[in-house]
Amino acid sequence: METMGIIFSNIYDSYMGALTEIRTSASIPVGGRYRQIDFILSNMANSGIRHIGIITKYNYQSLMDHLGSCQEWDLQLSTNGVVFLPPFATGHTGIYRGKLEAMQTALPVLESGNQDYVILADSNVMCAIDFREVIERHVESGCDVTVVAKAGLTDGKTTQHFALRIDGNNRAVGMGVDYNAPVGDLVGMGMFVMSRKKLIETIQETVPHGKYHLERDFIMEEFNAKRLSVNVYPFQNVALFNQSVESYFKNNMAMLQPEVRRSLFRSEVPIYTKVRDEVPSHYGPDAQISNCMVADGCRLDGSAENSVIFREVTLEEGCQVQDSIVMQGSVIEKGASIQYTILDKNVTVKSGTKLLGSPDHPLVIRKGVTV
Amino acid sequence: MYFQKKRIVAMLLAGGQGSRLKVLTENTAKPAVPFGGKYRIIDFPLSNCVNSHIDTVGVLTQYQPLELNEYIGNGQPWDLNSSHGGVSVLPPYARSKKSDWYKGTANAIYQNIPFIARYNPDYVLILSGDHIYEMDYAKMLRYHEKMEADCTIAVRPVPMEEASRFGIMNTNEDNSVYEFEEKPKHPKSNKASMGIYIFNWSVLRKFLEEDEEDPKSENDFGKNIIPNLLGAGHKLYAYEFEGYWKDVGTINSLWEANMDLLGDHPNFNIYGSNGHKIYARNNAMPSGYIAKGAEIADSFVAEGCEVYGTIRHSVISTGCTIGKGAEIRDSVIMPNVVVENGARICHAIVAEDCVVKAGSRIGEDQEGTLEELKISVIGKGKTIAEGAVVAPGEII
Repeated sequence: METMGIIFSNIYDSYMGALTEIRTSASIPVGGRYRQIDFILSNMANSGIRHIGIITKYNYQSLMDHLGSCQEWDLQLSTNGVVFLPPFATGHTGIYRGKLEAMQTALPVLESGNQDYVILADSNVMCAIDFREVIERHVESGCDVTVVAKAGLTDGKTTQHFALRIDGNNRAVGMGVDYNAPVGDLVGMGMFVMSRKKLIETIQETVPHGKYHLERDFIMEEFNAKRLSVNVYPFQNVALFNQSVESYFKNNMAMLQPEVRRSLFRSEVPIYTKVRDEVPSHYGPDAQISNCMVADGCRLDGSAENSVIFREVTLEEGCQVQDSIVMQGSVIEKGASIQYTILDKNVTVKSGTKLLGSPDHPLVIRKGVTV
Repeated sequence: MYFQKKRIVAMLLAGGQGSRLKVLTENTAKPAVPFGGKYRIIDFPLSNCVNSHIDTVGVLTQYQPLELNEYIGNGQPWDLNSSHGGVSVLPPYARSKKSDWYKGTANAIYQNIPFIARYNPDYVLILSGDHIYEMDYAKMLRYHEKMEADCTIAVRPVPMEEASRFGIMNTNEDNSVYEFEEKPKHPKSNKASMGIYIFNWSVLRKFLEEDEEDPKSENDFGKNIIPNLLGAGHKLYAYEFEGYWKDVGTINSLWEANMDLLGDHPNFNIYGSNGHKIYARNNAMPSGYIAKGAEIADSFVAEGCEVYGTIRHSVISTGCTIGKGAEIRDSVIMPNVVVENGARICHAIVAEDCVVKAGSRIGEDQEGTLEELKISVIGKGKTIAEGAVVAPGEII
């Protein structure tokens, strides 16, 4: 079944604090060597999707730099491949407020395609999903929309962006947006399937009436009016949602668990990323590394525990890194120590400096800063 | 079709069997042998080409070319996927008359005269696919032009007492070559040829054609082409190279070259002093994971590894698992090897995709000179049974 992909690169920018000051949420570094978008883009590529539009808003330079010609994803194609879709602004349309409105910029691409179905996806969920199966289930269901969702995340207290309740046949029987969903409900993973034709009609019919929020103004509204049938694809494997600095921190730490890594990184469906040609990481005679993810190109002479160490990080002798995320190119000098801290790219922590955050409120040091 | 004229074309000899690497080259060409955690030997000359702004490279393959061809692919990892030039894999091929395998290094280039001629280059650079080094060929070319040479040969100083093991260039004070001696009993100089030549294309072409007509020739650069050029009075110069260079043609030299990457002041600084990188085809592997209780000292560990055990003074390549209580010392572990709990590996090379079962032992801790060391070697895809013992120097 021919399928097109649409990826939203910055719907969650405003939730990510200092991490999105200089980049879109799609290009936030995760897991030692990835950017958030690598997961959804690799999932689409691994599912045989060869025509993908990436909707951007602002700050998308780092994203374009990261994706380049998309050859790492085998999406450097003469026909289709990846297209960037910056906001289409005229006198009466401005910067978009939500996914529905954002898709106006994708209309020409959607109309020019010949695919039967479209997968719409946010870029902030880390998982390994086979969209071929999702499409199959969608077709079988005969429904207008399929929402990919995860069970077991609701507790009645936490607000969910989009929660759904299903019957025994995985049909939605109720849904809520920004809603403290009770135990038993599923949480939408920001991935939707629709037929291309239906999606084009939807954009054309809703956006001119001031509707912009995909889940609230279209799916829920139409569902409640009994004009839309909604199928749910309950995703069974690990899915990590980066919806805030805190969840981002916890999700990186979750990757230290073997079962999480085994679910996310499978050799038959690899997660691709930009190749940077660093040398392997070097462990010095006194390096003490325990329960850490370590990318290539690091020089490790100090100690690190329960942490994610990105590419080209230098840990000098006697430094201490605990429960932290250290992004690419950062240097922790002799005797410095950090705990519950996120160092953005190219941060230098000078000798003798001690940085301490807390598990619920990790300290974030902005890109390029010396502390 | 229009071919852009090139100033220089590189020809990389990658067809050798590499029989002294034994099981490591049983099913693969020597240039495709893994090196340094995430590279293959051929990455070094290919990256040197790109870092020297050479954009047209012919790779001459013959022995077990499948893996090498696949690895080179369209040349994209080295930015050699260009529409004008780029990398071309050149196997021997059947032609209307006189088809043959590559008989010698000179014959291999001779058979590809049409490939070189399409680019009408001023110079041809001849390289080997089994050397580990970083070199700026552009500097060598400037030297070649400055000396107005017909052929420039890269040389490196070797200890005088070892000179009789190498091809030696005897030079005048201005570094012009007056004699080439292959493994001389009484060496007159310590300038060993590195098997890297720059020729003026017109001169090389003439001598290749003449050499092919000579039925007694071995069709070899060192034995035939260089002496013939000298005999005809052409200008040959030795270009002295001071950096790290190693022929990794034997088990012990391959092991040593890997070890040379290690230490605070490594013999071969792979990080590069000049900002140049060594490029390689990458596998999409996640970051390495170093577990609680793992101990790693003075080692390289590449991405995609999971380490629970102990690693000392070793090179661990992409995608390996080192189990709990396993211990690896002074060894080279190639990609995707699984070392199970409690296995011990010492002074060994373990090739790709091997499984070293729990409690087995490979090699022993040893002292001695490089020649004396007995490196154990496990060939690609082998399984070492639970509790098995592989003796020092044993090859499986």
